Amino acid sequence: MLTLLSMFYYICLRRRSRSGTRGEALSSRRAVESGQRATLPISVEVEQYAKEVLDFSSHYGSENSMSYTMWNLAGMPNVYPSSGDFTQTAVFRAYGTWWEQCASAPLPFRRTPKAFHSQDYIELAFEEPVYPTAVEVLETYHPGAIVQIMACSLNPFSQNPPTDIRWEVLWAEEPTKVLTPQARQFSPSIKQLSFPTNLIRVEVNSSLLKYYTELDAVVLRGQKDRPILSLYKMPRIDICDLSDSDEDLSDPGHINLGNGYFDKLPYELIQLIVSHLTLPDLCRLTQTCKLLHQHCCDPLQYIQLSLQPYWARLSDTSLGHLQGRCTLLQRLNLSWTGNRGALTLTGFSSFMNACGGSLVCLELSCCHFLSEPCLEVISQTCPGLQELNLSSCDRLHPQAFTHISKLTQLRRLVLYRTKIEQTAMLSILTFCIELRHLNLGSCVMIEDYDVVASMLAVRCRSLRSLDLWRCRNLTERGLAELAAGCRLLEELDLGWCSTLQSSSGCFQHLARNLPCLRKLFLTANRTVCDSDIEELAANCPALQHLDILGTRMVSSSSLRKLLQACPKLLLLDVSFCSQVDARIVQELCGLFPNVAIKKSFTQ
Amino acid sequence: MFSVLSYGRLVARAVIGGLYQTDSRDYSLVTAICGFGEDFRKGILKKGMCYGDDACFIARHRSADVLGVADGVGGWRDYGVDPSQFSGTLMKTCERLVKEGRFVPSNPVGVLTSSYYELLQNKVPLLGSSTACIVVLDRQSHRLHTANLGDSGFLVVRGGEVVHRSDEQQHYFNTPFQLSIAPPEAEGAVLSDSPDAADSSSFDVQLGDIILTATDGLFDNMPEHMILQELKKLKNTNYESIQQTARSIAEQAHVLAYDPNYMSPFAQFACDNGLNVRGGKPDDITVLLSIVAEYTD
Repeated sequence: MLTLLSMFYYICLRRRSRSGTRGEALSSRRAVESGQRATLPISVEVEQYAKEVLDFSSHYGSENSMSYTMWNLAGMPNVYPSSGDFTQTAVFRAYGTWWEQCASAPLPFRRTPKAFHSQDYIELAFEEPVYPTAVEVLETYHPGAIVQIMACSLNPFSQNPPTDIRWEVLWAEEPTKVLTPQARQFSPSIKQLSFPTNLIRVEVNSSLLKYYTELDAVVLRGQKDRPILSLYKMPRIDICDLSDSDEDLSDPGHINLGNGYFDKLPYELIQLIVSHLTLPDLCRLTQTCKLLHQHCCDPLQYIQLSLQPYWARLSDTSLGHLQGRCTLLQRLNLSWTGNRGALTLTGFSSFMNACGGSLVCLELSCCHFLSEPCLEVISQTCPGLQELNLSSCDRLHPQAFTHISKLTQLRRLVLYRTKIEQTAMLSILTFCIELRHLNLGSCVMIEDYDVVASMLAVRCRSLRSLDLWRCRNLTERGLAELAAGCRLLEELDLGWCSTLQSSSGCFQHLARNLPCLRKLFLTANRTVCDSDIEELAANCPALQHLDILGTRMVSSSSLRKLLQACPKLLLLDVSFCSQVDARIVQELCGLFPNVAIKKSFTQ
Repeated sequence: MFSVLSYGRLVARAVIGGLYQTDSRDYSLVTAICGFGEDFRKGILKKGMCYGDDACFIARHRSADVLGVADGVGGWRDYGVDPSQFSGTLMKTCERLVKEGRFVPSNPVGVLTSSYYELLQNKVPLLGSSTACIVVLDRQSHRLHTANLGDSGFLVVRGGEVVHRSDEQQHYFNTPFQLSIAPPEAEGAVLSDSPDAADSSSFDVQLGDIILTATDGLFDNMPEHMILQELKKLKNTNYESIQQTARSIAEQAHVLAYDPNYMSPFAQFACDNGLNVRGGKPDDITVLLSIVAEYTD
């Protein structure tokens, strides 16, 4: 009798497994098995530090250094549980809202979903794929920046990578204010995964922080064996899934009435309503009825398109489906998308050919799918392009940048952490004379910044902001020519430019020649002295942001003069300035409450 | 006839010796440290691996064992700068570079160059100067690669005899080559040598070779024959005996440094240069004593 029952049960199970998906059968079989087992097996919990840093969007340190760079996040912690500003930690390039306040900041894109807060990211590979039970991040300075933790189904060390790569969100939350700068171990409760992972992505937002956040290590805890609890299959909403069915609804010649009150509303009003929807909602709405399909596919809804929040799901097919609607596209954000084969040259160039004609702004930060032909396509299809962001596209071949010189209407160009070389740079400056904002931070392949500065002074006289962060060989000659030629300069970042010597008078000359100066970063220039500060006080009343980290030659008296002379000053960073101790900072904060005076510490 | 036989034996021995030359075992350095800071109050191992203004490090990597010493230049104290900060940070940075694999075993000068560059990347404005000596043992190739800038140095002893010794690099008397970071106002006046100015050498080592790396506090107070005499007492390759020998060398140098009548190598050199002095040279002493042994995990 028992054998008959068990046979019957077995046959039913097999039939179910044939009709259902393999995943469901596995989980059901395991449920059956676990029910029959007397004791559950002890699953081995594995604790790992990150083995390798695969990708990141920015960092504070220099490209071939181990100080304040993202590569410090791999391996065991070096600083935790101490708190402070140490070299052995991973630090991002920016913090707070200071960079967003600058004129060089891009305008935010419409339709950004409220749940998307990420500003920077870092991807870590661990040795063994596990089913994660916990992810701990050891933050050692100004914690609280982490807003999202994600896991990938791909094993970055595998020889044959699969074609379908899934990213799951383990944890996500809005940025919250953490009051103390002290170290902490951040371990949010994470979601259970249905696949093992050894590729973790941490996304951060530092806008509520008072200073740079610093991360020491990331710990991944997980089980090697799949957890017993069965997992329901998470419905994946893909943009291309939603766009699939628009073919069915095209039926010309059939006058459609019966949309109820929607027929009474003016076209523009429905357009206005629909303009508040996020992109996935817009794609879903397309499928509801013919009227809304017409509204949602109207190219006027796609004047601005930000695909950055959907980077994990964007593919060539998605772009293909959106192509038809984006003929009037003016601003496109593809930052962070397309990596690991999701976007290819074919998909990208087809999209650009269809939609690039009116494009004014193109954000391509961290787009590692980009290659030289992609830039060639951009230069051919977007003649009116005014803004181009290639930040952290460090795998882009130097030859690719020569195509940028064809974009003669360019006003904003971001080349942070790219491998652009001198000849391509000079070629761009020769032809793109409308440049207002130029970011050459950490462009290590440019040999002589004096020549670049000199070219800027001659050709790009409308320049408003210039970021020369970590440009190692700029001297007072180049700076003098720059000050003479680009008189409208408002923002100048000369952080970590060690070849500039105050004794040459270059900073005083700068102050006298740039009265519109609003932002000046002289981070870690150990030669900045009192006379430079006094000259700034006398000549730059519009000054808002000043960073003089690490100089021993500035005293509190010149700072007082500066604070009195520059009423608009909002940010003053005097970290590691030995003559300006905590007591003086406190005193100045009391006298000038509108100014955020930053004084970092090591211990 | 006899000569033919002996010649044949020589040839045979050479051939067989050449065939068995390839020793596929990995080598490692078993190292012990001992030292004394000049200032008694500071005590031993003040900040871990620091003796007075001297600093040192030992680092293991999959491909190599690396040691280093750095002698901070004491003159900075007169300008309100703690000389041990520069040497200590330099050595700690070298250690970190090695542990993270950011070095090439056959290029110890690269370790110094990278470490010096990292010091300049620190937000904290470091000041000071020091000598530096880096010793790298490449596990697989059995070669010792060294870089020396200044008057610290190393000795390699095999079979009771010194087979290699580093040369001192001096600009003039008591002014060794030194890596330095100066305040901007004193940039022209402060001696600052480039890491590229370091002397480098490479040679094969054998199991049982003794390597002594030390700052000038040792070499200025103990002549070579005294050091060799102490090393003769080293019988086996375990850590305890090496530690004991290192301590006895350091203690002896420490005692001699304060002996006013002893004709130390420092005093001898001074006399040769026309300065009539006698006695030891009180200084920070750091001794790293290593033996080449088989690699065990």
